[in-house]
Amino acid sequence: MSCNKQLPITNYQWSAAAGVCPQVVIGNWILVICCCFIFGNTLSAKEELVTLPERDSVQLTIYNSEDLTLVRERRTLSFKQGNNRLQFSWANTLIDPTSVEFEPVGKDAQDALEVMDVSYPAESHEMLIWTVACTKPAGYEVEISYFTSGISWSAEYTGMVNAAENAMDLTAYVTVTNNSGEEYEDAEVRLVVGVIHLVERIIDLARPRQPMPSAPAMDKGEMRDMAKRARGGEAQNGMQKPKEIQKAGLSEYYIYTVEGQETIPNRWSKRLRSFEIKDVPLKTVYRLEPDKHGPLFTKVLEFKNDEAHKLGKEPLPDGLVRLYKRVSDGRLGYMGAIASKYIPKNEEVKVNVGPDAECTMKEKRGSLKKKDLTFRNNRLVGWTTVEEFEIEVKNFRNRDVEVEIHRSMQGLFEFESDDAWEKHDADTQKIHFTLKAGESRKLSFKVTTKNGENAR
Amino acid sequence: MNKRMIFTLAGTAALASVIGISRPTTVEARIKLATLPDKEAVVVRFDHPNQVLVEEERTISLQKGTNTVDFSWAGTNIDKGSIVFRPVDVNSKVEILSTSYPPGEAALTWSIASPDARSEKFRLSYLMANIQRETDYRAIVSNDEKTLTFRHYFKIRNWSGGTFDSADFITRDGKTFEKGLDQGEAKRVLVNKWDKVTLNKEYVYDLTRQREGKVMTDYVLKNTKEAGLGAIPLEYGKVRIYQDDGKGTTAFTGEDWGQFTAVGDDMRLNIGIAQDIKVEFKKMVNDVENRRGNVYDTNEVDEFEIKNFKDSEVELTLVLRVQGEWEMQKDSEGYTGFERVDNETIKFKVKAPAKGAPVKLKFHYKRLNNW
Repeated sequence: MSCNKQLPITNYQWSAAAGVCPQVVIGNWILVICCCFIFGNTLSAKEELVTLPERDSVQLTIYNSEDLTLVRERRTLSFKQGNNRLQFSWANTLIDPTSVEFEPVGKDAQDALEVMDVSYPAESHEMLIWTVACTKPAGYEVEISYFTSGISWSAEYTGMVNAAENAMDLTAYVTVTNNSGEEYEDAEVRLVVGVIHLVERIIDLARPRQPMPSAPAMDKGEMRDMAKRARGGEAQNGMQKPKEIQKAGLSEYYIYTVEGQETIPNRWSKRLRSFEIKDVPLKTVYRLEPDKHGPLFTKVLEFKNDEAHKLGKEPLPDGLVRLYKRVSDGRLGYMGAIASKYIPKNEEVKVNVGPDAECTMKEKRGSLKKKDLTFRNNRLVGWTTVEEFEIEVKNFRNRDVEVEIHRSMQGLFEFESDDAWEKHDADTQKIHFTLKAGESRKLSFKVTTKNGENAR
Repeated sequence: MNKRMIFTLAGTAALASVIGISRPTTVEARIKLATLPDKEAVVVRFDHPNQVLVEEERTISLQKGTNTVDFSWAGTNIDKGSIVFRPVDVNSKVEILSTSYPPGEAALTWSIASPDARSEKFRLSYLMANIQRETDYRAIVSNDEKTLTFRHYFKIRNWSGGTFDSADFITRDGKTFEKGLDQGEAKRVLVNKWDKVTLNKEYVYDLTRQREGKVMTDYVLKNTKEAGLGAIPLEYGKVRIYQDDGKGTTAFTGEDWGQFTAVGDDMRLNIGIAQDIKVEFKKMVNDVENRRGNVYDTNEVDEFEIKNFKDSEVELTLVLRVQGEWEMQKDSEGYTGFERVDNETIKFKVKAPAKGAPVKLKFHYKRLNNW
């Protein structure tokens, strides 16, 4: 239950003797926001009516690289001339106390209000009191912001590859999961793509605190209500359209803003479609590239996050890519899944879908010879090996395939071949070619390696 | 006539002093009759980076002759050896004759000689432990990342065992604010705010700072008047950075520990990873040469392929390290400038064109094994 829905504007009296503010129960935890206007310096100086203001709006900015969400909520509060004391508490939440900030909104409020100090009373780790000086009494909109742990988002991709494996329909999703203990109703949701630097984890700053209470069991009616709110209510005039997700760059990050407002109940996840692109051109390359794709000769589907591939409007956040292949009668075959890293605009995407029995590679050593044996005191201290290798690549498929092979050697070696190998780095040679349907190709090369004192 | 006065600081730093007539007794059975003199000023100073100095002023009525003043601080964290007690008036005729320390007590007594009956204002200074101080900053960066608003906060938490009903707290840079502070309570105040501070943004590849070889985004603030700062040294503290998103609100873009930054020096803040700039390292040559017995040199070529997937060109700083004695070779290329920072460190500047066009830095050097 949200604060707004559960509680109307309430007036109550400050408990001056105890200096305690009545608590407002929100969902599984307790949020207390109360505003008291005291003309003296101490809590017991004067009793005043306290107003619990409604939350006008709430915005969640959720980060995917850290367990961090920036919550901003705006409320309109009445201020009197002089010092106003505003108490904010957050028992049983995952809020970082060092992050809680108070900001007047708008020029009038900024001109009239000034935060004199923030006090963190000894009796509670989950409460603070702002002393706000007001020069012009009125109602002003203020923004309270804080970091909380427990809300996360992730990206997922589904690719429907055509039978020829030269194009796919790519759909991207974002999934928001709320384990914060609080339901944020009708919140503007922003998702940040990027890796921010944090020097302390928010969950550590939020501790020590009580264990999170488990949610009370809901009956089916409550579940239906919750599901309805999570869906965003019933469809108006029949069909609803998927929400748009606007993307915009900011510094080194991208901010995805979900259209309208979202309600994500505590312990629920919600998946929204980020984009859907039809017929993204696709290239299939068979690779042996142990550094990037593991030790096996594997099939790699490649495309580029650029305009030529109908993409390139924004980077693709890291996430799980699931590929399905369209087979006959509209049915699907599962090709595989891979955790993709962040893909900037204009970068290539390579999805390893594993070995393919219809395109194989075998390497064999045809010969091994030793020469230039060096002895000292009748002991072997140096030698040179000459090895001849043959690699055979067979394409059993009914279409041409591209092949790229990386071959690494160790030690002080010389590499010789009549094939078009090129140097990749000090220890690695590579070759790239197209193999026609049903054909095979043999590659041969010789590696001469100096060992022991011969290598000196 | 020997008068005895007693200040007690039992559980409170708000000096609850008492005056009493004493008679010679044992420590266990001291009799204290007292009245409470008014507290006139309490100052808490944070000049020292690790210690907190508290100063209090009290007016004490003295009788002609020798007076005894008793000061005790049970339950508080006062450094006994640090206590300084003197008349505020430097020309005062009052003289402090001696200081005595009763065994087993957080207390002391002063013998004070007065030429006549008078009221004299005294100042009492002492170091107090467990008053924690913390500096933090909040930066709001402009949408174009050219300037920022820099807010400097000072937070104190009082675990000293005492309570300050009202005191002047003076920060290391001389800012004063008057607050009350209970035992266990913390207060955070805005002490400085600077607008339109010039900001330099740098992209840095440095394996000693980021072992995975990712490119870091750094903000560099110059603590100078020209840059909009330079008024005070900036204390060590956490800097939380937000950026104007151009839509009327801000987004949190990262945080870092700001190191102590003297006036004129730079504060470097890492806000996160620049994922749109990638660096791929390859060792292209690693040969042994100039062998002399069991000693040899190496000839090495390191290649860094840089791809900038942003829509505009950027400049990347690569901080590279080579151990031992080494010399860069003239055919190194691909940089716009370099600086040999120290024997082990060289810093290259590389312009990386937009939209992923690769550029290569070739770093050719020889490690020399000279003896």
